[in-house]
Amino acid sequence: MFMQALGFGLITASILAIGAVGFTTQFGVTNILNLAYGEVMTASAFAAYIAVSRGLNPWWGLAVGGVFGALFSFALNRGLYTPFIRRGSKLFVMIIVTIAVSLIVQNMLQVVWGPQFYSIHADPGTTVHVLGMVFTTTQLYIILIAALALVALHSLLRFSRIGKAMRATASDAELARNCGIQTKRVVDLAWLLSGLLCGIAGVALVMELGSFQSTTGGAFLVPIIAAAVLGGVGQIYGAMLGGLIIGIATELAAVYVNPEYKDVVAFGILIVVLLIRPQGILAEVASQKEVAA
Amino acid sequence: MSTAWAFYISTVLVYLGVNTMACWGLNLQYGYTGILNFAYIIFLSAGGYTAAVLTLGPKTEGGYQQYVFGLNLPFPLPIIAGGVVGGLLSAVVGAIALRRLRSDYQAMVFLVISIIATTVVTNDVGLFNGPAGLSLIPKPLDTVVNLSLVGYQWFYVGVTAVICAVVYAFVRRITRSPLGRSMRAVRDHEHAAAALGKNVAAIRMTSFIVGGVIAGISGAVLVSFISAWSPGGWLYQETFVLFTAIIVGGTANNAGAALGALLVPVLFLETTRFLPPIGRPGLTDALQWVAVGSLALIFLWFWPRGVLPERKRVINIPDLTSPPVAIPTTVTTAADHAGRAE
Amino acid sequence: MSAATDTLLAVTDLRRSYDGVHAVDGVSFHVDRGRITGLIGPNGAGKSTVLGMVAGAIRPSAGSILLNQTDIAGWPSYKVARRGVGRTFQQSGDFSAMTVMENLLTARPGQRGDSLRGALLGKRYWRAEEDALIARATDLVRRFDMTSMANELGGSLSGGQRRLLEIMRALMSDPEFLLLDEPMAGVNPALGERIGDYLLELRDGGLSMMLVEHEMSIVEKLCDPIIVMAQGKILSQGTMTQIRADQKVIDAYLNG
Repeated sequence: MFMQALGFGLITASILAIGAVGFTTQFGVTNILNLAYGEVMTASAFAAYIAVSRGLNPWWGLAVGGVFGALFSFALNRGLYTPFIRRGSKLFVMIIVTIAVSLIVQNMLQVVWGPQFYSIHADPGTTVHVLGMVFTTTQLYIILIAALALVALHSLLRFSRIGKAMRATASDAELARNCGIQTKRVVDLAWLLSGLLCGIAGVALVMELGSFQSTTGGAFLVPIIAAAVLGGVGQIYGAMLGGLIIGIATELAAVYVNPEYKDVVAFGILIVVLLIRPQGILAEVASQKEVAA
Repeated sequence: MSTAWAFYISTVLVYLGVNTMACWGLNLQYGYTGILNFAYIIFLSAGGYTAAVLTLGPKTEGGYQQYVFGLNLPFPLPIIAGGVVGGLLSAVVGAIALRRLRSDYQAMVFLVISIIATTVVTNDVGLFNGPAGLSLIPKPLDTVVNLSLVGYQWFYVGVTAVICAVVYAFVRRITRSPLGRSMRAVRDHEHAAAALGKNVAAIRMTSFIVGGVIAGISGAVLVSFISAWSPGGWLYQETFVLFTAIIVGGTANNAGAALGALLVPVLFLETTRFLPPIGRPGLTDALQWVAVGSLALIFLWFWPRGVLPERKRVINIPDLTSPPVAIPTTVTTAADHAGRAE
Repeated sequence: MSAATDTLLAVTDLRRSYDGVHAVDGVSFHVDRGRITGLIGPNGAGKSTVLGMVAGAIRPSAGSILLNQTDIAGWPSYKVARRGVGRTFQQSGDFSAMTVMENLLTARPGQRGDSLRGALLGKRYWRAEEDALIARATDLVRRFDMTSMANELGGSLSGGQRRLLEIMRALMSDPEFLLLDEPMAGVNPALGERIGDYLLELRDGGLSMMLVEHEMSIVEKLCDPIIVMAQGKILSQGTMTQIRADQKVIDAYLNG
């Protein structure tokens, strides 16, 4: 029972980790709390759905979702967020902007796709037993993809020039700019990467859930933010760790407490972190610095 | 005027009153004091729920509704109780959530509290009757005034107007007083306000609780009118409608808040009822949300201060022609030696 | 014994660290009544942190701050302010959405209309006090030559006018001690001169001040004594001539 819950937890954790890493990458660089992230996940899932219903293999659908997420996020930033920031909009204006975007996207999806459920089916393959946990091969692939994506991102940030520029901007945008780093490019990349991971997470989520609708991604937003904040703003490994903790905690709560309140666990963790230790576990103080564009 | 029209207009007027009060409360918290209370809707809901369980008669055996109390209290007690509960809940939430936090984290905390509240309330059948909520709540003073259906509608419009006037009197007293000034100071620069001796935490909490009381009253008035309360009617997105209303109407301006209530929840959302139902059910609702979101973005971009921006309060300076009067403090005795060309 | 009554502020072994970095590392000094004490030093010396701790905006890690023999270390800033300590801010501390007059009217603590009860009792309750405050604010506005800007929003003032407003605002509450954090930064020289003259006048009227400043000419004109800090510690204290002659100070400024 416990191991089974743990198994579920690992899958949820993987998807959460992909999403949280994407979220924290963008949050760390731009300092914008992007509450439309969940909706971009849903939109990416629908993009993948279109591709798959045209006959594309679901795993390629994952790639389609990722690319869509990247482009959509990039466009949202260039078209909407950056212009607002350029005029000096404060943090709280930005949060209203992202909420507005999330409402528009979610409801536009509903207008176009209706209230019914859709699904992207990946052949589950054989079941695998590991230490009392049961996985389908599809699920194992998802966990593998999560791991690969994170290793790739880590390498990018650590070893590439633009990756280092990103870390510098996340640390101190003003200083980075003064050192000649082209923050505009860094910000663009942050949104592209974030959107890519967002899209992949979105498709992986709907593959795991079995069916989805216009509200699915939005429901996952708070656990993702919880994971990202728990791990520390901009901390990639922190977001992974946060995803793991929240994924397992919520599944255990579902089994041992009440499945209805499963989400409340993630919400509760987020509130506690924000109120007690906003900088997260792997501390990098998220001070009241203004947004970067 | 045909009965249907009379019914419709009187209903809209009650909604206008309810939303105006809600906007005044939120405006006090956000427009004047700078608190991004994204959980505002739960205080409206709490007020409505309180009015419901106090107005309902005792639970009948084998009845289909589950709830507590059921004291069958007469008007206006349930409304007042709604306000009190709104205030108490604000005190609790405020004690947890109001602290020195960057503004968007603060907003997130409130948002999450709102979502948790919705989840808990929807699932707890014993107190809240689960997702179905409560209905068949007796209308206030119904048996006392004994009017026709339409007559009662207009009566209630009058009741709402009176309550609005009372709430407005209170709000206005606060916003034009030194306390209102202190709230705006906390909003503009809390460290400077503290450096001037203002207890920022106490001021925030005061604003938060007063806003909560107003929200509770507003919710109570609404629920008493529509005779029903359900968790689904008080989702966290509703707070966004109210925020959009005060952004459109103008923050830190009571007339602006009232105008926003008229323009957004009432006109904007209500007039769409007249459009022929297009497409499948739920489509108009979805389009409404798209419209509200777009409206917020448009106003934030083009008219961020709203239709009626915050008024500049001009103070008449007495008689500029006479020479400066020496104030009997150490600070200005030096002015006597100044001899500076004025 | 007479030394005790002349000492307004006595700071002993004040410390503040952030994540292992000692921003202020054991600082002790006293401020005498009726003088403008300067606090200078190279960037990162910890001057603003010291000011912040005295004002109550920053919590000390250790040490005591005696204001008229009461230890205010760790007190929240509003309590320190109510004890007669005013301060200005390095970057604009004015209330930008309120007029100059409103800025000034806000500045008096303990107003009748400032409590919820007082506000709800209505204008009749707090009117008289408000009128007195308006009169006082009007006088300050005239004194500082700001009558034309009296009903302008704080946000529409120039940088120098904002500084002036902050000083005026700090004066509304009749402080005993005024903390100034780089009041002349970003202000044109002519206005800077005027501000300096005002400060001297205020000092002559009995107001004690502590001034954090970079510009040596300003320090020279206004401050006596002067405390020099570097890297969280006090290097030297004394008159301008004395510290100029101090080798430690010379080294710090040449190297820092």
